[in-house]
Amino acid sequence: MAGVSVRNVVKRYGSVQVIHGVDVEIADGEFVILVGPSGCGKSTLLRMIAGLEAISDGEIAIGGKVVNDVAPKDRDIAMVFQNYALYPHKNVADNMGFSLKIKGRPRAEIDAKVRKAAEILDLTKLLDRFPRQLSGGQRQRVAMGRAIVRDPQVFLFDEPLSNLDAKLRVAMRVEIKELHQRLGTTIVYVTHDQIEAMTMADKIVVMRDGHVEQVGAPLDLYDNPGNVFVAGFIGSPAMNFIKGRIDARDGGQIFVSDAGAVLPVSGVNAESGRPVVYGIRPEHIDLDGDGLPATVSVLEPTGSETQIFARIGEDPIDAVVKARLKVRPGEEIRLRIDPSRVHIFDRQSSARL
Amino acid sequence: MRSNRVGWLLLAPTILILAVFGIVPFLYVLYVAFHQWNPFGANPNMIYNGADNFRRLVFDAEFLTSVWFTLKFAFFAVASEVALGYLLAQLFMKDSPGKGFFRTIHTLPLIVAPIVVGSVWRLMTTPSIGIIPYLLNDWFGYDLNIGRDATSAFVITVIMDIWHWTPLVTLTLLAALVSLPKEPFEQAQIDGANRWQIFWHVTLPMIRPAILATVFIRLMDALRTVDEVWMLTGGGPGAATRYVGLHIWKLVFPKTDYGYGSAISVIVLYLTLVMCWLLYVGLVARRDRKRPS
Repeated sequence: MAGVSVRNVVKRYGSVQVIHGVDVEIADGEFVILVGPSGCGKSTLLRMIAGLEAISDGEIAIGGKVVNDVAPKDRDIAMVFQNYALYPHKNVADNMGFSLKIKGRPRAEIDAKVRKAAEILDLTKLLDRFPRQLSGGQRQRVAMGRAIVRDPQVFLFDEPLSNLDAKLRVAMRVEIKELHQRLGTTIVYVTHDQIEAMTMADKIVVMRDGHVEQVGAPLDLYDNPGNVFVAGFIGSPAMNFIKGRIDARDGGQIFVSDAGAVLPVSGVNAESGRPVVYGIRPEHIDLDGDGLPATVSVLEPTGSETQIFARIGEDPIDAVVKARLKVRPGEEIRLRIDPSRVHIFDRQSSARL
Repeated sequence: MRSNRVGWLLLAPTILILAVFGIVPFLYVLYVAFHQWNPFGANPNMIYNGADNFRRLVFDAEFLTSVWFTLKFAFFAVASEVALGYLLAQLFMKDSPGKGFFRTIHTLPLIVAPIVVGSVWRLMTTPSIGIIPYLLNDWFGYDLNIGRDATSAFVITVIMDIWHWTPLVTLTLLAALVSLPKEPFEQAQIDGANRWQIFWHVTLPMIRPAILATVFIRLMDALRTVDEVWMLTGGGPGAATRYVGLHIWKLVFPKTDYGYGSAISVIVLYLTLVMCWLLYVGLVARRDRKRPS
């Protein structure tokens, strides 16, 4: 096992720079998830760690050893690809044992390791099958089994669950997390799905346009997002953002939206009149008879909770409440915003204040 | 019912053409093969002679030699074409300046008619005027004369076939290589395979269907080569390049021995089928055989 250090790494394709000096420290045994929208450079970064892409500048070290010029096969890593990349002409056992066979290990050792990995992943009955005879979830497990057999220093996962249906994805999330707890191997995992990031990671690296926006534990990012992008990306449903400014009233501070709605704040580190973005998560808004009047646009009941799309004055707002509502679109409800959960961001820099 | 009838109606032109140009001639050849028929011989009538023609060809040294030469020719030509075609296809996979230009000119031999290929190569190899004997003599002091030396004639026919048909192999293998997903190759790199191991364990099995289809096409073509070789060497010197297609042609046309020529055609067709079947069993069926655990 080993940690991974990414130091000031840059990637250029010709004159186009796609990764701009990224620094990430991954501790030994840590489960780190690189997350961000499509094209943010997360997969490129992972492929650079794997050695499948050259590093234009900076350095990457695995287990303290700089690997910039080390071939993928000598980095002691295992990778799981989005479309699994199984060898179509080899059966499950041969797929899993290929790396050991290449290394010239004895047949008995290969069989033992493959069998052990197959037991962990419940693949024992499938060892003779070919990839084309397997379902998506089974292929996914074979790809993971192939990685386990290697017993590498670092596991790299490139959006491994993206091709699975929603239910299977949840099941595999649990399986991967259990696997990590069991093996304790360092994992670097790429996804665009923030729920995967929140539920599995020890540490999340949020990326955008080739920059790291914020690094932190999942709940830390949720509670203290560094800027509007991270606040909007982490958490589902996404945080409400309302543009406006801070104002003084009755000896305290309030927020006045550009459309004129007045919303509560507390302990804001910003002077009156400053243009800001007001952020509040849907789950931090509740129904309250004494709250702010809001007009319902759409209701989405899911059984356990109800998502309300409403308007406070002109400003759209999204709330999630535990109650089941008997209101119709166009009717008025009253919402209470917990001022202690409000995030205020600078409108210019979009940084949190 | 109605859609069935429409289906047959739509298929009718194809079936008709196939019947007129494929099935009927084949059946006719089969029919003629059981007869003695030389319209310009002593008895110009078609005389049923049972399996006499087939009995004759088993002991016909000339025929057997031509089959042996044809097999050698087909083996060396097709094997070299596949190897060379694969290398070229890999070369064209890489990004390099002028790739499109080279890819285009390398396919030019494909659009040249075999008869023209034969005559061009004849010009190039004729002693005292051809460029190839001239250069070989100039550089290595080697005296190439395909009209006299059997081995040289054989080698030149193989090289001519390679020159003519390698582009076809390159194109089909290039198409196969381009359509391969790149992840298994990256996975193999991570798994620790070197270039040779990636070729052997990943590339080759993944393009095997394309290779096989190409080998089928090329093998069938090579086994019935006539025009190019006829132009180049006329089957000589002696019978050194008298491949079986040429042999049949000589029996049927100059000698007008239609019955015996038809019998040989049928046997050659049978041989071709058997060889393709063996290839198929050896290369495709093996893959689908279930491995005992």
